[in-house]
Amino acid sequence: MLEIKNLHVTVDGRDILKGLDLTLPAGQVHAIMGPNGSGKSTLAYVLAGKEGYDVTAGSVTWKGQDLLALDPSERAAAGVFLAFQYPMEIPGVATMTFLRAAANAVRKARGEPELSTPDFLRFVREKAAALKIDPEMLRRPLNVGFSGGEKKRNEILQMSLLDPSLCVLDETDSGLDIDALRIVAEGVNALRGPDRAMLVITHYQRLLDYIVPDRVHVLSDGRVARSGGPELALELEQTGYAEFGEAAA
Amino acid sequence: MELPVKQFQTRAEQAFVDLFTAAEQGLPGAGNPWVADLRAKAIDAYATLGLPHRRVEAWKYTDLRSKLTEALPLARPTGVAVSEAEIAHAFGADIAGLEAYRLVIVEGELRTDLSDLAGLKAAGAEVVSIAEALQKPPRWLKDELGKINSQERDPVVALNLALMSGGVGLRLAKGVSLDKPVHVMHLDGGSEPSSVITRSVVLIEEGASLDLLESYASLGDTEIQRNAVTEIEVGPKASLNHVKLQKESGTAVHLVSWVLKLDADANYKAFQFSTGAALSRSQIYAAFTGEGSSLDVSGALLMRGHQHCDTTLLVEHRVPRCVSRELFKAVLDNEARGVFQGKIIVSPGAQKTDGKQMAQALLLSETAEFDSKPELEIFADDVVCGHGSTSGQIDEDLLFYLESRGIPGVQARALLIQAFVGEAVERIEHEPLREALSKASAEWLGVSFD
Repeated sequence: MLEIKNLHVTVDGRDILKGLDLTLPAGQVHAIMGPNGSGKSTLAYVLAGKEGYDVTAGSVTWKGQDLLALDPSERAAAGVFLAFQYPMEIPGVATMTFLRAAANAVRKARGEPELSTPDFLRFVREKAAALKIDPEMLRRPLNVGFSGGEKKRNEILQMSLLDPSLCVLDETDSGLDIDALRIVAEGVNALRGPDRAMLVITHYQRLLDYIVPDRVHVLSDGRVARSGGPELALELEQTGYAEFGEAAA
Repeated sequence: MELPVKQFQTRAEQAFVDLFTAAEQGLPGAGNPWVADLRAKAIDAYATLGLPHRRVEAWKYTDLRSKLTEALPLARPTGVAVSEAEIAHAFGADIAGLEAYRLVIVEGELRTDLSDLAGLKAAGAEVVSIAEALQKPPRWLKDELGKINSQERDPVVALNLALMSGGVGLRLAKGVSLDKPVHVMHLDGGSEPSSVITRSVVLIEEGASLDLLESYASLGDTEIQRNAVTEIEVGPKASLNHVKLQKESGTAVHLVSWVLKLDADANYKAFQFSTGAALSRSQIYAAFTGEGSSLDVSGALLMRGHQHCDTTLLVEHRVPRCVSRELFKAVLDNEARGVFQGKIIVSPGAQKTDGKQMAQALLLSETAEFDSKPELEIFADDVVCGHGSTSGQIDEDLLFYLESRGIPGVQARALLIQAFVGEAVERIEHEPLREALSKASAEWLGVSFD
């Protein structure tokens, strides 16, 4: 279970999260929605441990463990995975090399044996095929020259390789056409399970047609302003975020 | 002999002339007028110029007059026993084990007991010890030695010619290519502090091709001052893949100059990898003398502590339609200092020249320094020339991305540094060598990605 209590976060001296409370039980998928600037991406980065996001009050625990005391790689080993809104391009690091380094680092930290090369390659190819990722892509430098859809599918591939228990998806739908969105959503849905919790951050309701959440939380000015079932997302689609501080377009 | 009147500024500056005066009669080729003339002219040139210092533009960042406080005595070959284990330890097992024709030079002497001279000759190359050739030169060597893009105005190159005591001469006749690379290994630092001054000549005649690795390492921590020159001519339609590995001990001074000329439709590709020496300067003087040739020089240097590593390139486009590419990467930690100077000269009439260079540094500490000085001198109007230089730190966003995937910080940093260097290392054609140097950079970083 993820428990966030009274979380206050400042970035560059500005208060972004102002007493956020959230409980996400294992096995559930919760959506975080909200207007631009409400603190959605900040929440994602704080959970993953990005530098420059200073927690000034509150706590975050995952399965009873104090997440805030861990550095980013330790959080990954503890089961946290952030699918980035804008995955980084790293020239000079082959995608496969990176996947291997990540998978082995996480397995090592969890006290699991490293996968042999043939086992690892088979495992990656299988997962990649399910996500319709061209094997050629895995030989290219990480995310370099990848389309928006390829980058997001690559994020989901990493997610399935690292076997996380807490998945945070930050605006995974941004920049995707409908076909890519469907493939990505199928990849995410395949990972749903009783031991895995997911936090799906999105500005638009569209993604939630494909990844149907158990709960929806609306963020406004750094706090959860409202929570409800999946129907809340549909309601927001109609009314917009006007009542949560964003001017209607 | 009479030396010109020059007020030397420092003891060391004078000491090199004294070395010459004292050693002249004992140097290889003594009494041979051809050699005596080469040496005399060279020491004259040095005596006129003195040691280069910061007010000499080409040496602005590497002031030898202040950095060299003495001239170490000339190395004397002792035939010291060198075991395979020592060679592997000095160069690293991958480099030492590279499938190649070995030519091993210890204390300036080409060691026939450690070199595969017979194999190299059987494969079709001509190979001579420079020390022997100075006594009794083959025609081809006598015609070329000291004359290929000669750089008489460079005092370090001039000193080398005056004091050269060994090295190797290698010639591939028309159309010859070898089944494996030639690996010239320089090993020193195991005995007395000394100046090791060698000159080698590599002739690749029309249509011939060669993979050549020159590596420099140390048997021990004894201080040495190395001054090595390799003269290279790549003939018409000939090609040379030329790699240098420098991992001398942290006490070494390493001054190595490659002077080369490229004939028509020649292809020259070079890579330099440096992690060693206290003070190093690697110079490449290249001249295009025939149309339609290409040169691609790249390199990576990884330095820490108080190491100083200077790479200085001068590419002269004397004729039309030649292409030059340069890419250097520097990784600098602690108080290390990297210098890159790249000068491209396009002569009047050298139309359709295409010259580009790029130098990039990754600074791992606040106190590391990178000085980059690109220079273009263009006297033709139909050319494409460009240069760029960047220096920066590790990108924190990239680091976070890797760490968020479970890769611990130290390893994530290493992976990014390796990637930065990798862009240059990738340009090495010879695969086992490319892998060996990629591993060497991982070793420098203290990590393994296997």
